Amino acid sequence: MKPSGRLKLVSQLLDLPLIDRDGNYCGIVDDVELDGAPGKKTRLAALLVGPGAYSGRMPGWAMRLVRAIGGDRITRVPIGKVESIRSFVQLKDSARKLGLEKTEDKARAWIPRRGAL
Amino acid sequence: MNPLELTLGIMTAVGGFVDISELVFAAKAGSKFGYALIWVFAIATVGIMVFGEMSGRVAAVAKQPVFNLMRHRLGLKLGMLTLLASLIANLITCAAEVGGVAMILNYLTGAPFRLMAVAGALVLMASMWVLPFKWIERTYGLLGLFMIVFAVALVAIHPPWDQIAGGFVPQIPKGLSTKELLIFAYFAVAIVSAVMFPYEAYFYSSGGIEEEWGPKDLPMNTITCTIGFGLGSLLSIAILASSAQLFTPANVDPQLLGSSALEVAIPLGTTGLVIALLGMLFAISGAAVETCMANAYSLSQFFGWEWGRHRKPWEAPRFTIAWVSFFVVALLIILTGIDPMQLVEYAVLFSILVLPLTYLPLLLLAGDRSYMGEYANGRLGDTLGWLYFVLISLAAIGALPLYFLTSGGQA
Repeated sequence: MKPSGRLKLVSQLLDLPLIDRDGNYCGIVDDVELDGAPGKKTRLAALLVGPGAYSGRMPGWAMRLVRAIGGDRITRVPIGKVESIRSFVQLKDSARKLGLEKTEDKARAWIPRRGAL
Repeated sequence: MNPLELTLGIMTAVGGFVDISELVFAAKAGSKFGYALIWVFAIATVGIMVFGEMSGRVAAVAKQPVFNLMRHRLGLKLGMLTLLASLIANLITCAAEVGGVAMILNYLTGAPFRLMAVAGALVLMASMWVLPFKWIERTYGLLGLFMIVFAVALVAIHPPWDQIAGGFVPQIPKGLSTKELLIFAYFAVAIVSAVMFPYEAYFYSSGGIEEEWGPKDLPMNTITCTIGFGLGSLLSIAILASSAQLFTPANVDPQLLGSSALEVAIPLGTTGLVIALLGMLFAISGAAVETCMANAYSLSQFFGWEWGRHRKPWEAPRFTIAWVSFFVVALLIILTGIDPMQLVEYAVLFSILVLPLTYLPLLLLAGDRSYMGEYANGRLGDTLGWLYFVLISLAAIGALPLYFLTSGGQA
């Protein structure tokens, strides 16, 4: 499915995993940003990724817990960067270029790079 | 289909089937009720075959493991509830398995239990760090084949085969008091839970992605689930039958993990005992690794992190931190001094409560033609799937009352 076509946001997009150009998992569609105005067509503008995008989808107490553990970062992925939508969202660029690797990079600093086959 | 790969896949499934809960509950069930609970093992085994096959098929066709798609189907709130429940269930199970490893190392070496827990956990974590996925799966699965000694021991004691065969027919023993009936029902629920542990589906489907399965691997998936799990389950039934034959007449209640190994020691002597303990050690170690990885898989997939042990640990850093953390917490739980046998009870109880939440999204996904196309569940798959969903839901509803009414099968 092309992102420019008609799609059901909740059943066909929300909560799907994102896979970048190199085949790496790089987040989940946590929320979406819409573009439009009264009397005009509503269009999908961007995918929102990160724990900050949960607000409005979770009870307040749970959101406070999420914020304490995972922060409130949101990364915006413009819809033009989406290649296709299937059982996952295929992105056109690398995760790093889209700013989706920041937390993974922070965690990577803690992992020793030796010993594994 | 590569015959060598297929044989190895089946052998891995056989060797990796049994874990500490099955060992404990099979031995206890045999000593308390003779052969009358064999049919529950058989029915639960068909259940894990059905859901195992579905999870492998979803991984091969949709190219997405269960938890990735679970969040999409259940939504964030219910998905997170399922995630939390399964993380807790798997963590308790992992702690019980680490405790089981420590107990067997204690039997084999005589060294203190806590020291063996630390040593065992460090060796398992080192193996997870060093070995890639396929080697982890194969190493523990194939070494777990030492468990076949339980089947050999059963043959050696010349059991009443007609009575064992009769155990496959659904039955409730006659003449049981109400209290005994409740204990029988508790054991039935516990066996269903132990055979159909939720981590098995998570691990199996994630393994399919790790090994890059595609539709061409579906026949191997079906054969591995049916023959591999089926033969693996026969080992549990052998433990139950030996227990019924040896422990029931002597009025022995096998409360300890080591009691199961005595079933082999009686007919096969010291050599048999050592082989049985080694088989148990590798089988339980494999289950400890699987439960820990299942938790790391679930967490990573739910939040869309990079995951998998086909990658180097630093290539999937949050996944690596997750499995290391889960293993350390499991070890700490054991180091508090809690009895691993008590943890087995909690693991079985908590897992059955989670089972319906785990298997419902899988059932929906496997039957969804928009994801699965021509590989979606057929009529047989759907019927069996929903039948088992009703069964595990009933077991989940009955689990807590039965646990309290029977004091965990002790009353």
